[in-house]
Amino acid sequence: MKTIKKMRYNWEASVLGLMFQLNQKQKAKRRVKSGRNWKSEYLTPPLDIANKSKMLVARHILRGRHANERGKVAWVTSGAPAEFLKALGFYILYPENHAAICGTARVAEEISSEAENAGYSRDLCSYARTDIGSVLSGKTPIKTIPKPDILLVCTNICQTVLHWYRVLAHHFDVPLILIDAPFIYTEASDHSIEFIKRQIEEAIPLAEKIAGKSLDPQKFAEVINLSRDASMLWMQILDRCQHRPAPISAFDQFIQMAPIVEMRGEVETVDFYAEMLHEIDQRIAQGVGAVKNEKKRLLWDNLPIWYRLRYLAEFLGQHGIVIATSTYTNAWGELADLYDPEKPLESAARTYIYPMLNRGAGDKLAKMKRMIEDFHLDGVILHSDRSCKPYSIGQMDQRDRIIKDLEIPALLLEADHNDPRSYSEEQTTNRLESFVEGLGF
Amino acid sequence: MELTSAIPGRLETINTFKDDGGSVAAVFPIHYPRALLRAFDILPVEVWGPPGVDPSQGASQLQPYICSLVHNMLAFLKTGGLKITDYLIVPHTCDSLQGFGSILIDFVSPRQPVIPIYIPRGRRDSDVDFFAAEFAAIYTRLQEITSRSPSDEEIMGCILREEQADMLLAKLHKQRDGLPFSDLQYYRFIRTREYLPAENFSQLAQETLSQAGESQRNSGIPIILSGIVPEPMSLFETITDLGGMVVADDLAGCGRRLYPTGKSEEPFQRMAESIIHAPPDPTRGNSLQERLDHLLNLQNISGAKGVVFYNIKFCEPELFDLPILRKGLREAGVPSIPIEVDVNDPFSQQTITRLEAFLETIE
Ligand code: SF4
Ligand code: SF4
Repeated sequence: MKTIKKMRYNWEASVLGLMFQLNQKQKAKRRVKSGRNWKSEYLTPPLDIANKSKMLVARHILRGRHANERGKVAWVTSGAPAEFLKALGFYILYPENHAAICGTARVAEEISSEAENAGYSRDLCSYARTDIGSVLSGKTPIKTIPKPDILLVCTNICQTVLHWYRVLAHHFDVPLILIDAPFIYTEASDHSIEFIKRQIEEAIPLAEKIAGKSLDPQKFAEVINLSRDASMLWMQILDRCQHRPAPISAFDQFIQMAPIVEMRGEVETVDFYAEMLHEIDQRIAQGVGAVKNEKKRLLWDNLPIWYRLRYLAEFLGQHGIVIATSTYTNAWGELADLYDPEKPLESAARTYIYPMLNRGAGDKLAKMKRMIEDFHLDGVILHSDRSCKPYSIGQMDQRDRIIKDLEIPALLLEADHNDPRSYSEEQTTNRLESFVEGLGF
Repeated sequence: MELTSAIPGRLETINTFKDDGGSVAAVFPIHYPRALLRAFDILPVEVWGPPGVDPSQGASQLQPYICSLVHNMLAFLKTGGLKITDYLIVPHTCDSLQGFGSILIDFVSPRQPVIPIYIPRGRRDSDVDFFAAEFAAIYTRLQEITSRSPSDEEIMGCILREEQADMLLAKLHKQRDGLPFSDLQYYRFIRTREYLPAENFSQLAQETLSQAGESQRNSGIPIILSGIVPEPMSLFETITDLGGMVVADDLAGCGRRLYPTGKSEEPFQRMAESIIHAPPDPTRGNSLQERLDHLLNLQNISGAKGVVFYNIKFCEPELFDLPILRKGLREAGVPSIPIEVDVNDPFSQQTITRLEAFLETIE
């Protein structure tokens, strides 16, 4: 039986993965040859590497199908210090990422209704609702997701995740590891950093017990190294968008960030971003931009609107507008320098207390101002995300200060990252149209 | 009984305290070290909204999907409601209060120093140690601002005074049935703990408890009230009018703050232990099982026939727990009902009808 399962696993994870990759490559070649399928007059076709990221994600998903049979599974929040779990061999699943997949596949509404029918309010984070709905109903666009043996939650992105993971812990009856990251209003105190370090130290024995093995310090350092390398490459990729025209847009970044979130600490992830950087440099050398006729450049704040990425990219693209950068995609690269494989725990504590979402609204404003300068931006769209309160509170002041201090237009756009019921295409279009007028073409 | 009308109000208490040379801190929900503030001769006066302010004043800085409590806090501050206070203390209770604190510090920049407090989300030793270190940092900050340096003994004196008040508060909860109060009077009375100096509260509590006897309350359908804060307070009149009676509560501002006495002889550690070991609270990260056990225990002791979850719209800490708590209660044969409110809105007829129907079914 075991052998059959192993064979099935290898078949799905390797052979099917490879076939998927080949299929994608051929499709891409055919697309380039015939110019078919890429309908946009305004946008450059996606990077060639896009197929590889699809393949990486697909392979990760395929591995997940048999992860419960092959080893231990951890469900982890996107900002959590997961390197020790990775080094212990856990298969890691990020429910936020899975929810985003549901969002782009446009099934989030149907899946989150399952949670709402069970009593979860529509006012809760739509990622959480999608995930809980999926857990309760088994619905997912990726066929199946493995059950967790352990949950790791870190409050460095929001407190919502703790409320959400308490629900998961109750449902699955599995241990919940909490890494509580005190919020930084002004600066991080020593006792806060010490607190995080101690929590990671205390979490390791529990994770070891569940994994049934001890943490190998060398492996741990290796994973941290790989996380750091991938994050640094990711940051370089984002910084390349300071070029005019921007070689990729924030919409491309939203899609290509999946490996840095889901597969940090893996060799393939580092290789992938190295290749991506290379292709982006080629675009820069050839003067190719994500928007064919780039005239204006914007900053995007907050999570993407997953179910309307293409529409927004097209709408802005037809006006010659590129979203050159976003606070959201930056969050996965900005702390790369803080990783130190020589001091894994100390550096993890520092790395994981500083994400932008764990810092004050004024800090985010200062960061946005720096980005506006560095990326030569003409305006800002702040996505006021109905069900992501921590990211959205403070945006009204941020918008006002940007307009006043930098004298550039800034738009507060009401929507929701995963729930299309909180989005109105008509209203969005009207608001974007007047915003575009204000950009002064 | 007329005792509640003899109790000084917030403003009177603040003025008296200030006349005696003390200063006053406006404290936002929920948990904070009262004794530490008192050691610096600062009277904590809690701000739960309040309801009834013009919320539009907060609307230019807060999106409509932020809870009405936070909207009102900002509006109250901006319209001068807190100008009598000398400090603003912002516990890190939830994402919305986190954002509120951040807006105050970064954009509103009020005259008063803003002092945030991070509340750890567990009951581990590391949480207690962190919390104690957080208090030590606040001590240093207050030391810098006030140029005072209360000794360990002085802080301990304040802790013991607060512990005495907490113990009496717990007694009031336990003996509520024998007190000569209606629900509204009872909650008005115990909520004076939100602003009265501990010693004054203790004195009033002792006087009240000395009058406690056999059950003096009108009989009604016994219920537990769960949620953040019972605002608007007219809620209690509505419950009474509909034939209900609150026999126990799991309210963040009331029953979840029946702090046990800390054990340590070290003041910061002792304050930390006391808050961390208070009854389960989602804003302190306690598990759903702990919350469910606590509710079932309350039900068992009080004989309540049902639970009313009285939630403020957009309050994630409460809303996430609701389905599992309700399911657990249902499985134990305890019916419940969720009611969602905006603290600025009067009870809608629809809410009253739902509450009435609920009380009828559990009668
Ligand atoms: S509330 Fe916001 S930051 Fe938190 S999980 Fe949801 S989308 Fe992410
Ligand atoms: S009502 Fe809920 S969301 Fe609002 S401040 Fe209180 S805990 Fe936070």
